[in-house]
Amino acid sequence: MIGLLEIRRRKVQFALIALVVTLISYLVLMINGLGVGLNELAGSALRNFDANAIAYSEKAGISVIRSELSQDTVDAIASQPGVEAFARIGYTAANYVGSDGKVKSAAFMGYDPGTIGEPHIVDGRALTPADTDGLLADRSFLDAAKLKVGDTVEVDIRLNTRVFTIVGAIDEGAFFFQPAVYILRTSWEELRYGDLAGHPVASIVLLKGRDLPGIKGAGFEIVDKGTAFSNIEGVAGQQSTVTSLRVFGYLIGGLVIGVFFYVLTLQKIPQIGVLKAVGATNLFVFRQILIQVLSLSLIGLAIAVPLAFLTDRILRQLPEAVPIAFTNGTFVTTSAAMIITALVGAAFSARQVVKVDPIIALGQQQ
Amino acid sequence: MHAVRHLSFHIEPGEFVALVGPSGSGKTTLLAMIGGLLTPSSGTITVNGRDIASLSGREKASYRRNSVGYVFQSNNLLPFLTARENLLVMGAINGNLKDPASHADRLLQELGLTPRAHALSASLSGGERQRVAIGRALMNNPELVLVDEPTASLDSERGKRVVRSLIDEVKGRDLLGIMVTHDLAMAGLADRILQLHDGAFIGDTRPNSA
Repeated sequence: MIGLLEIRRRKVQFALIALVVTLISYLVLMINGLGVGLNELAGSALRNFDANAIAYSEKAGISVIRSELSQDTVDAIASQPGVEAFARIGYTAANYVGSDGKVKSAAFMGYDPGTIGEPHIVDGRALTPADTDGLLADRSFLDAAKLKVGDTVEVDIRLNTRVFTIVGAIDEGAFFFQPAVYILRTSWEELRYGDLAGHPVASIVLLKGRDLPGIKGAGFEIVDKGTAFSNIEGVAGQQSTVTSLRVFGYLIGGLVIGVFFYVLTLQKIPQIGVLKAVGATNLFVFRQILIQVLSLSLIGLAIAVPLAFLTDRILRQLPEAVPIAFTNGTFVTTSAAMIITALVGAAFSARQVVKVDPIIALGQQQ
Repeated sequence: MHAVRHLSFHIEPGEFVALVGPSGSGKTTLLAMIGGLLTPSSGTITVNGRDIASLSGREKASYRRNSVGYVFQSNNLLPFLTARENLLVMGAINGNLKDPASHADRLLQELGLTPRAHALSASLSGGERQRVAIGRALMNNPELVLVDEPTASLDSERGKRVVRSLIDEVKGRDLLGIMVTHDLAMAGLADRILQLHDGAFIGDTRPNSA
């Protein structure tokens, strides 16, 4: 009661604190959004594969770039006990010329129609085995290149140039920080290896089945998607950087919010002294502070969450998309973490409340 | 060095006692010890047969909450609350109070504060604030009302009005009232005047019986 009344009556003072909580929550949300966004860019296409395990060539070190599988190895992988479905996927990076004339990069993935490697179409149509010059482009690719279904795109790989027609749009995300583009695996073979005899038939094999991760065979090894993701080049370093930012965000945010409430408590020592002098328990006084901490944290989050959401919407409109992405989980975990850190900060105030001697506190006010 | 030593006095219900003496004589210390705000370094303080000095911190808080009404020197109201809310705080602190809202309204009326009930305490005059403080002290239906220099920030006339209100409330409720003051004019309004010097009583007079 007293805690809430004080917020109502001292609007300016508490609005400033709520503003600080809002800004810190917003900052932490944006850091978390950046973490999610960078992860998406690093390999959301891999995460979105309709598979629960991925096979790499044995000496590739779980790297899609280095992995190359022959047909014999693919057959060996497919014949492993527990394999229910599989799909050969080829990967190569390629440049294309956007509608603005600028050369950009994309992650070209080759797949066989009708397999588990087939992406989900959101616009246009799927590739058929006859679409040797057809292409399925991720929405981010289309947005970045200002292209649409039906347009053609000039793709350069090594010294070759080939024109593809965009027949469908997908929402599979990105790979190696580049938008994912799907073409037929046979087209990928031509782009990647040309006329080379006995060339590999896939970079990796997507697998669906039971107890597959951990299997190592002649020339291949199978890992789960999580391991595959964390082994994408640069992801481990990026994740530790983002995790450090996140941890520091929580720590600094919690510290700043905690210090604010601590200072607020120090300013209220005479009032706390009065309350204790007339018989209020430490618990009663702390409850008032707790109500204020929770109220201000919730107000701060109630502003910061929509603000972060709005920022995300605005950033998505920019021609060069900033890698920030939010999930419901980001909002929930960040909000929960901010409230917990605020409560931990308030716990220091509790210590101060216990220490207040009413007779000394009353002396301060006199 | 002792602020007070070997003091014993008896007050009848409905009696209002003034504690007077020079600065440093131990008046406020004695009042704070009776109110459970200070613990003596040795000895006991017995109020209504209960040893206050031996109570734990939590028991002292309960004693202050249930048995003592305190009016502080500078009223110490919560400035962001209205006059009425300052009284209702006692209801929030003391869950045993029955119908604190009606009780607060009755006290405000008795103290002539009904028109100012919803004014923020920061906007009240000094006399009004002291009357609110008296109301707050009476909210928990205490056995004992302790008052520390209630007129320090008031002019003589207003001070007398405040002390008279206080005495009326104490007598009307058959409470025990102790007021620390260095103002002999205010002390003259009490039933008894106890004089302190260097922590010891040097006089016990009844001004109205003279």
